[in-house]
Amino acid sequence: MMFRIARSREGGEINHYDLYKIQTRKGMTVLDALFQIQDKMDASLSFRYSCRGAVCGSCAMLINKEPRLACRTQVSMVIDQSMKLKPFPPIIEVPHGWDKETEILIEPLPNFPILKDLVVDMTKFFDALEELKLWESPTDGDETRIQSPKDRKKIERYVNCILCAICFGSCPVNYEKEEYLGPAALAKAWRFNQDTRNPDAKKYLESAQQPKGTPMCDLIMNCVKACPKGVAPGGAIRKMK
Amino acid sequence: MVHEHDVIIVGAGLAGLRVAIELVKDFDVAILTKVHPLRSHSVAAQGGINAAMGENDSWETHAFDTVKGADYLADQDAVEILTREAPITVIENERWGTAFSRKEDGTIAQRPFGGAGFPRTCYTADRTGHNLLHTTFEQAMRLGVKIYEEYFVTSLVRNESHVVGLTAMEISSGEVLGFAAKAVVIATGGFGRVYARSTNALINTGDGCAISLRAGVPLKDMEFIQFHPTTLFGSSILMSEGVRGEGGYLINTEGTRFMNTYAPEKMELAPRDIVARAISTEILEGRGFENEYVHLDLTHLGKERILERLPGIREISMHFAGVDPIDEPIPVQPGQHYSMGGIDCDKHGATSLDGLYAVGEASCMSVHGANRLGGNSLLETLVFGRVVGATVGEYLKSAKSESHDIIDEEVFKTRERLQEILFRESGESPADIRKELTEIMDAKVGVFRRPEEIEEALKVIREQRKRFESVALGGSDKKFNYSLIRTLELENLIDLAEAIALGALMRQESRGAHWRLDFPKRDDERFLKHTLVIMSDHVMRIEYKDVNLGQFEVKERTY
Ligand SMILES: Cc1cc2nc3c(=O)[nH]c(=O)nc-3n(C[C@H](O)[C@H](O)[C@H](O)COP(=O)(O)OP(=O)(O)OC[C@H]3O[C@@H](n4cnc5c(N)ncnc54)[C@H](O)[C@@H]3O)c2cc1C
Ligand code: SF4
Ligand code: FES
Repeated sequence: MMFRIARSREGGEINHYDLYKIQTRKGMTVLDALFQIQDKMDASLSFRYSCRGAVCGSCAMLINKEPRLACRTQVSMVIDQSMKLKPFPPIIEVPHGWDKETEILIEPLPNFPILKDLVVDMTKFFDALEELKLWESPTDGDETRIQSPKDRKKIERYVNCILCAICFGSCPVNYEKEEYLGPAALAKAWRFNQDTRNPDAKKYLESAQQPKGTPMCDLIMNCVKACPKGVAPGGAIRKMK
Repeated sequence: MVHEHDVIIVGAGLAGLRVAIELVKDFDVAILTKVHPLRSHSVAAQGGINAAMGENDSWETHAFDTVKGADYLADQDAVEILTREAPITVIENERWGTAFSRKEDGTIAQRPFGGAGFPRTCYTADRTGHNLLHTTFEQAMRLGVKIYEEYFVTSLVRNESHVVGLTAMEISSGEVLGFAAKAVVIATGGFGRVYARSTNALINTGDGCAISLRAGVPLKDMEFIQFHPTTLFGSSILMSEGVRGEGGYLINTEGTRFMNTYAPEKMELAPRDIVARAISTEILEGRGFENEYVHLDLTHLGKERILERLPGIREISMHFAGVDPIDEPIPVQPGQHYSMGGIDCDKHGATSLDGLYAVGEASCMSVHGANRLGGNSLLETLVFGRVVGATVGEYLKSAKSESHDIIDEEVFKTRERLQEILFRESGESPADIRKELTEIMDAKVGVFRRPEEIEEALKVIREQRKRFESVALGGSDKKFNYSLIRTLELENLIDLAEAIALGALMRQESRGAHWRLDFPKRDDERFLKHTLVIMSDHVMRIEYKDVNLGQFEVKERTY
């Protein structure tokens, strides 16, 4: 199996693509393949990783033009998969020479500045959490608060977000509008707003509804299709709108 | 230039973040972490966190279960803190926002866990670590904790009596920088990656333990490594006990449910260590598939039951092994799971070096002794995060700044050392060294231990250290040089592997997770003691240290 990988030594933009031949084995993931390259062929290839089990959110990248977690993507299944995303430039523009039938194309996650190869600058993604103050402001007390299983279930979906930024990278609005806070932060605001334990739940909703928040979303729903954890941020945004 | 703070915490998992939260109001605190905090391994913990909050439960029973589970090697004064403070620790995190699973009456749900007398494990579905870490990180954000993200700590700097700071590589630029602090807290997590097969994150390489060892601080009880019986073949991702609980069969190449031979009554539901030893025996005796794994068969459960009860397991099998358990059995094998040992410290995290503290899985206080109980390690990170934070706060009130000159010197030396690796045009491949090292640990210092085999492993480990002296990466860049980082991690793994093997060789008994075929019994007379590994002039030696016993009398551990 051949891998065509976007390279950017100094960051900024993709400078060229390198082609590598991978020795595949049953069960091999795209992350395994990247390590094979780093170990055996090209020590200069940079990409992020940690858990290799789809829980830490480190390894989001564009795989055959679809944003995925490298560690959760089987090499053998890449070519047949399709998320049916609404197209926007980074997922349409195909590099010269890419043979779709035989090569897996690997590129950095769109909508973020490239730092090196597949490593992108996620500052604005995490800054959005701080800007919206997405945390509880705890009150004093020495007992746990009560929450019914039914109320707990309301936030289950949103609590599962691993902050991998795949939704942000799949969003045509994030592509066009630098200031848009993006699906994950807004879905997290909804998580805090819907948490029945929260005494001042309203403030999360109000901050999510600021001009560069929910009003900017065009309900394209790429985030819902691409999210590896079934968080469905678009659904939350629709409710907040 | 040297960055200066009152206290530097290395690691932004649950333990490191909790220490920072304790100190941030009164002191200038900074955390250094090699990955974004949310990418720390704490995020992967599944099952839950223990606290005696049930009506008939008490911290004393929790303490007893912990001490017994530890095969009496735990320090009972530290266990007391762990278990007494457990409920308020869980309550604190709940009030910070963790969305624990609930009982019908709205209180926190608790599930039974191996080795515990009560259902006392609080959980959020099978994503407890994820929830605790995200919540704790949110609180650190709220309090404005300063975090140096993607900085790889390369060494500690000390004078005769005190730690004075450390050196670290800024991953984005490849620059080595100096950091000065009156106190340093090591919260770098476990070192599962000493083994080729481990449920741990790829970044769990025990860096903090290795740099402390090299700075002259002893490591403790390193030979006690917990193995999980069922991890996914290929990636070693944890396949929780729940799969067997739902009725999964373990099958060998002859098509038999071999647990019949080892535990005819409990079969697949026998305790973890027994199942792990059974699977290893089957594979060793040639009844494993490809000589590597056995089958965990769910096909007889039927599609409906699998979809309803084990959706997560099915997802993992499909995404990570390309196997759908509805149609095919899952390939599994035992794998390293938890590091009981770590940096030798007391119940307040203080090490033998003034100003240096340890906490979390990197530390060994020891609350886990020879065998950790599931649900006690998340608890350890948060309880002792607070305790160690408070202790460091006290220390800082009277601590003075030491001279920085030696930090500059160490930065210079580290820079040179890295340059040497980077500029070496040809030499040994780090990937080859890593493979040999970690595979020999799986094979010879694993579930079963024989002295001849441990000696063999020691020989191979020392060969790898020799090879490492001429390690070469092949052309790489300065920015985001993960090849270099993985090579530096490998250097740490080599030292830790030796410490583990030495401890295992010298401990001529079987206790908890340490199983010696030539000494199948526990020997309290000689070995009711902690192992210390000390390094001086690049040579490691072993000493022993008494266990802090207490209210629980040492007894035989039977279940
Ligand atoms: C699959 C799995 C499931 C588990 N489930 C449970 C469970 O259900 N219940 C339970 O109690 N326990 C469980 N555990 C164990 C528990 O998750 C860990 O013991 C605990 O999370 C460790 O936390 P920590 O803060 O000590 O370290 P970690 O969370 O591992 O954090 C280490 C930190 O150190 C940093 N670091 C490391 N080296 C360097 C360096 N050189 N420079 C800079 N920074 C560095 C890392 O970036 C990271 O931030 C499980 C473990 C595994 C493997
Ligand atoms: S919502 Fe989904 S895609 Fe977006 S950050 Fe969270 S887990 Fe990733
Ligand atoms: S490495 Fe953690 S999500 Fe892929």
